[in-house]
Amino acid sequence: MLDKIKQHFNRKNLKDKEFAFLFDGVHKDEIVVYDCETTGLNTKTDNIISIGAVKIKGDKILINEAIHIFIKQEEEISHKSITIHQIRNCDLKGAIPVNEAIERFLYYIGNRKLVGYYLEFDIAMINRYIKPMFGITLPNKREEVSAIYFDKKIARIPQGNIDLRFDTILEDLNLPRLQAHDALNDAIMTAMMYLKLQHTRKLN
Amino acid sequence: MIALLETLKSNLPFSLLQNTPFLLIERTAQIAYYPNGTSLINRSAIANKLFVIIKGIVEAREDEELIDIYHSNDIFLGIELIKNEPSKYDYIVTEELICYEIPMDTFLKLCNDNQEFKSYFFSTIVERMEMLKEKNDYSSMSDLLIARVDETLLHKICEVEAEMPIIEALQFMENSNSTSLLIKNENGYGIVTDADFRHYILYKEEKNLKTISQIQTYPMISINKGELLFNILLLMTENSIKYLPVLDENNQLLGVLELIDLLSFFSNQSHLITVQIAKAQSLDTLILASSRVEVMVDALYSKGVKSRYIAKLVSEINRKMYLKLFELIIPTSWHNHCGFIVLGSEGRSEQILRTDQDNALIFEDNFIIPDDIKEVTNKFIETLDKIGFPRCEGNIMIINPQWCKSVSAYKKDIDNWFDKPSMEGFMDMAIFVDSITAGGNNYLHTQLLTYIMDKIKEHKEILRHFVKAIDNFDSPLGIFSQFVSHDKAHKNEIDIKKSALFPLVHGVRSLSLEYGIRESNTTLRIKELNNRGFMNKKDATNLMEALEVINTLRVQSQLKQWRRGDKIDNYISVVNIGNLEKDILKEALKTINKFKKLLSYHFHLNTVS
Repeated sequence: MLDKIKQHFNRKNLKDKEFAFLFDGVHKDEIVVYDCETTGLNTKTDNIISIGAVKIKGDKILINEAIHIFIKQEEEISHKSITIHQIRNCDLKGAIPVNEAIERFLYYIGNRKLVGYYLEFDIAMINRYIKPMFGITLPNKREEVSAIYFDKKIARIPQGNIDLRFDTILEDLNLPRLQAHDALNDAIMTAMMYLKLQHTRKLN
Repeated sequence: MIALLETLKSNLPFSLLQNTPFLLIERTAQIAYYPNGTSLINRSAIANKLFVIIKGIVEAREDEELIDIYHSNDIFLGIELIKNEPSKYDYIVTEELICYEIPMDTFLKLCNDNQEFKSYFFSTIVERMEMLKEKNDYSSMSDLLIARVDETLLHKICEVEAEMPIIEALQFMENSNSTSLLIKNENGYGIVTDADFRHYILYKEEKNLKTISQIQTYPMISINKGELLFNILLLMTENSIKYLPVLDENNQLLGVLELIDLLSFFSNQSHLITVQIAKAQSLDTLILASSRVEVMVDALYSKGVKSRYIAKLVSEINRKMYLKLFELIIPTSWHNHCGFIVLGSEGRSEQILRTDQDNALIFEDNFIIPDDIKEVTNKFIETLDKIGFPRCEGNIMIINPQWCKSVSAYKKDIDNWFDKPSMEGFMDMAIFVDSITAGGNNYLHTQLLTYIMDKIKEHKEILRHFVKAIDNFDSPLGIFSQFVSHDKAHKNEIDIKKSALFPLVHGVRSLSLEYGIRESNTTLRIKELNNRGFMNKKDATNLMEALEVINTLRVQSQLKQWRRGDKIDNYISVVNIGNLEKDILKEALKTINKFKKLLSYHFHLNTVS
């Protein structure tokens, strides 16, 4: 209920009616899994370097429709963050301006539900841009993969601490590990986690 | 590029593709998830995509019968797509599947643009091995096997006329710096070496020795150019000879091969061990020499010698060892009246590492079994303990009166196997027909085998029940579906003897009995079955290859256990073997499956209860 009211005001703030489709109910067949690589972990000051996103339809990951957007940086990427995500300045050659990137991303997700690992962060990162651009925050329905994992795991370990690290979940679900820290690979791995969790009733 | 595609690119046949085709795959392929039990495509349905497994297991089945199993990086439905044929099997997910699905159009375009890529789908396992980079490892392993005798290894010939006086011949030999003399007789050559001169020095007066032909070894053992060095080693070891003349295609002398050169070529201890065994005067020296066989096997194996040749060499050595044991332990007065036989894998000359012993004594009917039989046989088996042969769990040893008795007592057993068929009887019979004499009078054993063969001719029906035991274990391919064995001690391992070796060996054994084949070795039996027209050359070769693959994997695993000092068993790990080995094993198991079907048809097993 509260959510609905919030979305109502959110929609009212929308400056560009072209993006009204974001508010059109929820896409029935498809969801989008996405991940951002950023210059740091502060959603107020750090920038997005790349966005990887992939759609899931039924039990299929549509890698043929995946997107991997690289964003032009105002400043050079710091050495510290290069070592983490291994995106060098020269890798951003095909990069596009941030506004263009965000618009492409919005057209891609449409009214689909969003899924991610530590999704809150990735949504906050996107909101940091669309709030000034369009006056709104992302209205899409969302689902957190680590939360689904937690729910299925907690049945087994009622009081236990559940390790929710990305690699731990991946290993526990017996999924192949890809070369990490590339937005698209992370999105695909998250998509595999999501699909597998959809078919798992309880985890051992 | 997506990292998942990178892994795809590192495996055959996708490694044959350039970068552009990968963009096409990236633009069209999807990753799919299927839970357990999903039927991916049914038999006779038309496929519209190629499956490449990222993780999980898929089984191909035909009327519930398991045909093939696919794992990570395996591809299926390729041939059907290329030929535009419906699927031959039902494909069912047996372990949660994550896979690529490459649409038919993309796949066919890739095939069209790259002939090498396309032909991969029609290649045999051998051709795939060739394509692999690991190829080198495999070919270097077979160097020793394919090494054949050529002129470079040979010594110059020193040839003399038969009538040449001995001293003159010796002088000639000395001058030409040779170690052996070849004597030209009217009918072929003879050879004179050090040992013959010793004979000359000792007996020249007594025997009035004058010409070189009087002391020659005639006829001499020789071989033709091109013979496998390994076979030559066996020949020389068997006959205890040091010099071996080599002939060309027209039987003209090419040169002489000396054992010392051959040995340095192989640089293993097989000859040494044989010599030590042959020379052993006491049990202690015999035990010492015999316990070094495993070291030799290890060395040979790591040089890549095929397991069937190692087995041949080992059984050659063991034969000598048993003979010596027989001479040293069994009282001389018994020698002509009893036969010592080895049975089972030793009888088939297929035992490489000492996993077991099966032996028996047969006495002549009118020979009264002596009172000290117990002490003698106990001493025999205790010596085998010391050499390192584990005792037979089924108690098939000469210390068991059941396996130490007269010919007619054995005949009574044989009658029983036929008159009152039972599983135990069949198992005894199976072990008994895989036997050879290893000491004493071999006529006794031949007599019993003939007795069995004659019985079988009269009661062919019994073979159907005899062979039935191959059905006791599931399809050997099944071992790939679940790596979990019920035994906690053998997690992720399979008993390769039960699931793969037994059906093959037992099937071949049954057919050999039907055809009256006297060979005890499985490879030789298969060759003979081919000669008699039961199976064609291709099937025979495939079956022998399957045997080789399984034995190699088995020895590999047993050597590991031996090096660690663990008990040697028949379990092999299916998890730790490489992808290529897995494929080869799978191919071998398929061959065995096919053979089982053939047996089932041949013996009408479905009508046997």
